[in-house]
Amino acid sequence: MTDQTPLVRIEGLSKHFGETVALQDLTLDIAQGEFVTFLGPSGCGKSTTLRILGGFERPTKGRVILDGEDVTGQPPERRNVNMVFQDYALFPHMTVAQNIAFGLELKGMGKADIKRRSDEIMSFLELDAFGSRYPLQLSGGQRQRVALARALAPDPALLLLDEPLGALDAKLRGQVQQELKSIQRRTHKTFFFVTHDQEEALTMSDRIVVMNKGRVEQDGTPEELYFRPASRFVAEFIGETNLLSGHVRGTEGDKVVMDWEGTTLKGKAPARVPGEGQPITASVRLEKLGFHAERPQTANAVQGRVVSKTFLGSRMSMQIAVGDKGDALLKAYVDAETGQSVGNDPVWIGWEADNMAVLND
Amino acid sequence: MNNRPELFRGNRIFLACIYWAFVLYVFVPLILMVLMGFKDSKFIGFPIRSWTLDWYTGVFADAEVISTFGYSVAIAVLSTLISIFVGTWIAVLLEGRKFTGRGVTFGLTVLPALVPGIISAIAFRIYARYLGIEPGMGAIIWAHAVHNVPFVVLVVMARLSTLPKSQIEAARDLGADPLVAFMRITLPYLVPAILGASIFCLLLSFDDFVRSFFLGGYDPTLPVLIFAKLRSGMSPEINAIATVALVLTAAIGIWAERFTRRMNKEN
Amino acid sequence: MTYDASAEREGRPGARPAADPTFWGRLTGWGPYHVLMRIATASPRRQFAILAAFPILWVLTQHLGPMLQMLRVSLTDAYPVAPGVEQSFTLENYARFFGDSIFWMPFFRTLTFAAVFTFCTLVITYPVAYFLARHVSRRNQMLFLLLLLIPFWVGEIVRTYAIMILLGNTGAVNMVLRFFGLIDRPIPFMYTSFSMGVGIVYLTALYMLLPLYSALEKLPKSMNEAAADLGAGAWTRFRRISLPMTIEGISSGCTLVFLISTGFYATPILLGGPSTTVFAETIAGFFHVAGDEWPTGAAFATIMFAAALVITAAFQRLMNALRKGDRT
Repeated sequence: MTDQTPLVRIEGLSKHFGETVALQDLTLDIAQGEFVTFLGPSGCGKSTTLRILGGFERPTKGRVILDGEDVTGQPPERRNVNMVFQDYALFPHMTVAQNIAFGLELKGMGKADIKRRSDEIMSFLELDAFGSRYPLQLSGGQRQRVALARALAPDPALLLLDEPLGALDAKLRGQVQQELKSIQRRTHKTFFFVTHDQEEALTMSDRIVVMNKGRVEQDGTPEELYFRPASRFVAEFIGETNLLSGHVRGTEGDKVVMDWEGTTLKGKAPARVPGEGQPITASVRLEKLGFHAERPQTANAVQGRVVSKTFLGSRMSMQIAVGDKGDALLKAYVDAETGQSVGNDPVWIGWEADNMAVLND
Repeated sequence: MNNRPELFRGNRIFLACIYWAFVLYVFVPLILMVLMGFKDSKFIGFPIRSWTLDWYTGVFADAEVISTFGYSVAIAVLSTLISIFVGTWIAVLLEGRKFTGRGVTFGLTVLPALVPGIISAIAFRIYARYLGIEPGMGAIIWAHAVHNVPFVVLVVMARLSTLPKSQIEAARDLGADPLVAFMRITLPYLVPAILGASIFCLLLSFDDFVRSFFLGGYDPTLPVLIFAKLRSGMSPEINAIATVALVLTAAIGIWAERFTRRMNKEN
Repeated sequence: MTYDASAEREGRPGARPAADPTFWGRLTGWGPYHVLMRIATASPRRQFAILAAFPILWVLTQHLGPMLQMLRVSLTDAYPVAPGVEQSFTLENYARFFGDSIFWMPFFRTLTFAAVFTFCTLVITYPVAYFLARHVSRRNQMLFLLLLLIPFWVGEIVRTYAIMILLGNTGAVNMVLRFFGLIDRPIPFMYTSFSMGVGIVYLTALYMLLPLYSALEKLPKSMNEAAADLGAGAWTRFRRISLPMTIEGISSGCTLVFLISTGFYATPILLGGPSTTVFAETIAGFFHVAGDEWPTGAAFATIMFAAALVITAAFQRLMNALRKGDRT
């Protein structure tokens, strides 16, 4: 397996449930060793993709090629793919060790090999002490690790994870996120992770595919998605942002010039720039807005008045009324000290053109 | 607000009286029947002035009664095995994915349980001849098996509906084909339901009169024997036989109830 | 791709010739099984066909078959067919039913009895179910219910016999009445519609009790309390709240008990008398004698089944209408 041939190739995949279209013409490659996250709201098609990869659904159209072989019509038991289920789906009548051995048995492994492999994976995931326990005797975090161990034991080419952190409480979730990422690094396995939690996606993934209504909105690294969202949907779904709706003036190199509330702004151009005078939206992150007493030298600058402040500990969230009539609102994060010094006087808000992404809807 | 329990107190006492009266209605006839089996007289009726165990020793010495017991138990066990096998299979089909004709299949599945006893017996009698089954043990086993299938289906379906779909998917994901997934995941999960349904079928078959009567050959099942004896006159001997049957069925019933409850608690 | 193939390439443990696989590993790896399973699961459609074939065949031949065969026999002039005799289609067997009051009298008697006994069962068990569901703590409910279930594990014949002992001229009831000097000579309870009623209610009570209990148990307690809070008395609460909310339970309990009651054969023989002959006995009569009476018996059984179905269907429609009427 070289780096050029992808581990998974998804070609023109569509899935219809009666009238509803769950997945529309998805084409995508996944490289060996990648941590790919499918992110989106419920019903966006991310789970359908996962279930097609696992063999639990048959696509209406398209193919799935795994390791160079077309597995589209193969049932789950004949795919070298394993899954961590949302509810873990641990077998309640089997001990942890029996759960982990399940997949190994069905590969036809000898008893001694099964024992060795189970012990290996259990010690890798620090489950040694729980081998003879039943799933119901474990905590949520432990169950999650057992599910992971069970899926990793048969050494699958691809590991599917269906919102496996959803059942954990918030505190534990952060810890498990780190764990999961480190396990993925140490095993060099390809992880296909599905979640609706953008924070989870940002912390763990090498690559995020944002889905909406059965289609890919954007496919990129977490940084790309965060700072250069390709669409309004991505900008809103990932992190908090200011969305500025205005009209196109023209282009300057790779920048778009736009009118917004009587001010001229510059931002990075999207793939398609609408014609002059067309409506357009730009996104700028809250922490990219700077406060100045006088007009700053940044590419974009507007004057406004702070209308509300919320103290968040190390920083402050502000709402600033700007524009001709003062009815457009910008939100910004500033450090707590700057925040306190801002009074009722008009302030200047400035940001660079590179920090503002002009979006396609 | 605090006097709310008071509000319903009058009803409560009234209803409690009805409940206990009903308990009496349900138990007293059986208790009387048991007592009569110890009466030292051939004549059935009250009062009982002297007591004896002779009727019981007589029953246990009676080869016909003993063999009838064995015959009834054998029929119950064999018909139950068939009902469980068929009923579980049907339940798996009906609880699985939706298909056209599922409603009709379900309706046909419960049909034998809804046909009134005499009609069911007549229909089985006619069909047995059509199939070429001679009246006798085979015919009774067949009729009991068919008649009891709906109960198995209902009990197993209820249990099956609580099995998370992901359990089967996980097994398939780990390399189990549909049959192995059924044997290793579904079947263990169904054990309490199957045990409960088995006990129910055993009791239904053991207690059944009308089908055994119309499909039986020369050998009577226990209820048929008691019926025949009753037609030729009441006698404490019948009470002794009936009491043995009663103790047996009640014991199995109580044991099953406790057993299934313990299983449910463990899950 | 099988697991083994990929494992081989990457030198995974599964590739080594397995020394000692487990039972399941051996089964799935066994050639014939493997081939059969491949064929069976080649497509979801085929897999479903294999799953569905046996159950559908079973319900058609074993559940529907007997009823259809009964219908068929009822339309023939002779069954079983004697050698050399032509069997022909006829409605004669049905005509016979209407021709003689000795046939249709027991028929209407059976339906009337079944309806009356069903109503009695409902009236008797409703307060019991109500008490169990509403006034017994959840902890004790199963125990109280179990107490009532135990006698129902005992068979039909044994319980019928128990009623005979209770109601006979020298039975327990007459003895008690005489003991208190209320009567001089025994009241002849036995071999009347009364003794039959007591017996049939005794046999069917459970089938009424359980649907009622589960319907009442689902009813939130707060509803009655709210009604009481608004000033509704016990009777009004029952009539306006409990009764309409449990119509479904009443409907299924009554249907079940009615169908069962029409089918009793041994109990009416043992507890009833000449004036209470039920249709089951009439039908059975055609099967005790020579074979050529079977078509008539089959026709009568068909008439009875059809009547029972029509009545229960009409009853359920009525109950549904009542329920809907109450909701709007």
